[in-house]
Amino acid sequence: MNDILDQTMTALAHPIRRAILERLMRGEARVTDLARPFKMSLNAVSKHIRVLERARLVRRRRVWREHRVSFNPEPLDEVSSWIEKRRAFWTQQLDALDALLTGEDADTHRPGPVK
Amino acid sequence: MTNATQVVSLRVSRRFTASAERVFDAWLDPERAGRFLFATPTGEMVRCEIDPRVGGQYRLVERRDGEDVEHLGEYREIDRPRRLVFTLSVPKYSSASTVITIEIAPLDTGCELTLTDESVPTEWADRNREGWTSILEGLAETVD
Repeated sequence: MNDILDQTMTALAHPIRRAILERLMRGEARVTDLARPFKMSLNAVSKHIRVLERARLVRRRRVWREHRVSFNPEPLDEVSSWIEKRRAFWTQQLDALDALLTGEDADTHRPGPVK
Repeated sequence: MTNATQVVSLRVSRRFTASAERVFDAWLDPERAGRFLFATPTGEMVRCEIDPRVGGQYRLVERRDGEDVEHLGEYREIDRPRRLVFTLSVPKYSSASTVITIEIAPLDTGCELTLTDESVPTEWADRNREGWTSILEGLAETVD
């Protein structure tokens, strides 16, 4: 896995951050609104938002004195496509293993090369 | 990925006409492993070292377009012919290491192999963008 995907998945590994994203999927929110359901300090929520920002899963913009946060789905698409590639990779390995063993069977049923 | 709460992952299954023992042994036999494992159609396997014991390491190097790609890991469990667990890292592409579990179930003829790649948590493995929404919703409920 490359390090960008690793960062995305690390960001997603925390339940609070996933909950923040779930909320943001329904639309942009203020940092104070995001903090409310979790009974956490604004500071603690901001830390989680920074992790999501580093992974490019959220964008932050300033409107007057408020920070508004929105969801960016692109990294999730990258994770999905990485998973697909990984699945294709292992499928190909197992195909190759099957071909190898089947080839050995065919060899044992055939007269060997004349030496 | 180092988070302990992340369970299993990406899973691929396949049936083989060969016996469970032959399928199992191919993973640990340098001569056979070098011909299928981490091998690409156009690459050339230049090194295949396998120390097939728990705690033993392996190193497979394939030359792809003049570049050497190294696959490294350590065997965690070896239970012939049912189960093989090893770590895998490809330093050229990532500093991360993943755990691969191979489970082989004998059938009347041949066997069925299931490979699990723990670099992806199970709940994510079959998701597209829409699928993520439901995952995130489900998890949000448990936090609220």
